[in-house]
Amino acid sequence: MASVELRDIRKSYGALEVIHGVSLAIVEGEFIALVGPSGCGKSTLLRMIAGLEEISDGEVLIGGRVVNPLTPRERNIAMVFQSYALYPHMTVAENMGFNLKLSGLPRPQIDKRVGEAARMLALTELLDRKPNQLSGGQRQRVAMGRAIVRDPAVFLFDEPLSNLDAKLRVQMRTEIKALHQKVATTSIYVTHDQIEAMTLADRIVVLNGGRIEQVGTPLELYRTPANLFVAGFIGSPAMNVLEGTVDAADGEPAVRLGDGSAIRIAPERKVRLGQAVRIGLRPEHFVASGAGNAISGPTLLVEPTGAQTHVLFEFAGEQITAVVDGDHPARHGSLFQAAMERNQVYVFDRATGAAL
Amino acid sequence: MTDTTSSARMTAGTRLYLYVSLSLIAILVLMPLVTTALGGFKSLGDLRVNPFGLPSEWLWSNYLDILFGDRYWRQMLNSLFIAIMTVTLTVIVSAMAAFTFAHVKFFGSNQLLNYFLIGLMFPAATAILPLFIRIRDLGLLDSYWGVILPQVAFGLGMSILLFRNYFRNLPEELFQAAFVDGCGYIRFFWHISMPLSRPIVSTVSIITFVHSWNSYILPLIMLNTEEKYPWPLGIMVYRGEFGTDWQLVLAFITLTILPTVIVFFVAQKHIIAGLTAGAVKS
Repeated sequence: MASVELRDIRKSYGALEVIHGVSLAIVEGEFIALVGPSGCGKSTLLRMIAGLEEISDGEVLIGGRVVNPLTPRERNIAMVFQSYALYPHMTVAENMGFNLKLSGLPRPQIDKRVGEAARMLALTELLDRKPNQLSGGQRQRVAMGRAIVRDPAVFLFDEPLSNLDAKLRVQMRTEIKALHQKVATTSIYVTHDQIEAMTLADRIVVLNGGRIEQVGTPLELYRTPANLFVAGFIGSPAMNVLEGTVDAADGEPAVRLGDGSAIRIAPERKVRLGQAVRIGLRPEHFVASGAGNAISGPTLLVEPTGAQTHVLFEFAGEQITAVVDGDHPARHGSLFQAAMERNQVYVFDRATGAAL
Repeated sequence: MTDTTSSARMTAGTRLYLYVSLSLIAILVLMPLVTTALGGFKSLGDLRVNPFGLPSEWLWSNYLDILFGDRYWRQMLNSLFIAIMTVTLTVIVSAMAAFTFAHVKFFGSNQLLNYFLIGLMFPAATAILPLFIRIRDLGLLDSYWGVILPQVAFGLGMSILLFRNYFRNLPEELFQAAFVDGCGYIRFFWHISMPLSRPIVSTVSIITFVHSWNSYILPLIMLNTEEKYPWPLGIMVYRGEFGTDWQLVLAFITLTILPTVIVFFVAQKHIIAGLTAGAVKS
């Protein structure tokens, strides 16, 4: 278990810089998720920490020691890959013990450690099987077993659940969380799935275009996004965004939308009259009735999911998604009426995207 | 209904066309083999007046004399030794070179690879004179190594190409996982790449083996002592001062072809797997 620190990390391919000076401090035992859209540089950053990708500039420290010139093995990290990357010609036991064998550990010790890891991951019965005789979930567990058997300073996960079906993904997510609680090793987890990041991580790092947009706990990112990108990325379904101009309604600050309707916003928002802004409305913050902004429009689509229903309706010339109770009587073509409290309305500068 | 009938007739027609074409090709391929095998049962006179038909009298002695003579077996052992050494050296050298070309980036790697691949354009026969001089200078004339080393050298182009393509198709993440586990290039080569490369090792081995097995010009130039002759040179023994015993030549050829055919049928799955490896996404 060790801390990890990134100091102004940069990565360039020729003249093209893809990671633009990322700095981050991860404390011992912390579970950090790197999230962002495809091509944002999250996997590149992870591979630079692993030592699989050369660092163009900046420093990576593991346990307070600069590890830039060290090989992955010397960095004492373990990595779980998206495609599992199990050696097809080796059994589960050989896969898990390969690293220890290369370290020159005596056979009895290898067997002991592989046995312990296998028990932890319920793989004992599968130790003599080859990877092609295992299901996707079992292969993923072997990949994790291969990582934990060596007792590394840091676990690196590169989208480890992307190849699994939805049900297995939820199950494995729970297993990873339980495993981290058991071994408490510092973990860095790359995913494009914000639900995975929210459920697993102590802190989330949102990346976009090779830069960090925001670092914070899942709830911090959800409740106080630093900008429109983070607000749009965190939360499912995604936040609804409408353009408008800061105005006043009944003596209170509001945002005047394109169709002339006004959405009142919290007085503490740092806005000025006439400022061009975007407002963000989280689908789950709509309530069927109550105080605050009354929002209504014709229902375009109703998607029942059981406990909740997703309603797509038209408002101010835009399509808006609302998440309401599963019993809500929304019907295609009927008028959907809802309300949203003013302090639930997010406001962002239209030019910079910064939260106001 | 009409469509179905027409489609069935089309299918039957196409099938007939295919069967006829394939049968013709099969006859073209098999005829020389069958003629050779049958010729081995004839007397020289019978062979001259009736080269393609069944023997008027089946002379099993042609085959039996060869099989029970020591020359046939000695030359087979010579062929085996030359072929096995050629295969072993070709696989080891070309696999290591191909691994380097597949995974290690260094200045001039592409040019060096192209240099090796140029070898594909030159059959050994075109370079036989300089090769003879070089082998003579090395003191390897009339030795097995005088045949083995040029065969290895001329086989490298194709073998490196096959190995390199195979290695490049091994998943990149496997390499990274091994790197994280503590492998360097050499360990990855021995512990991961080679065990996963059985199909391509089989393919290269078989191609090289068959090539060495059938090699005629090179041993003819490099070897002088009859005790060192491989099988293909065995037929020279039947060439006399005043004539050639063609029926014995044909019997000898038939007996030397048989092992290659058997090996091909046993290993054809590996040959095809190796040649088509990486052609489609697995």
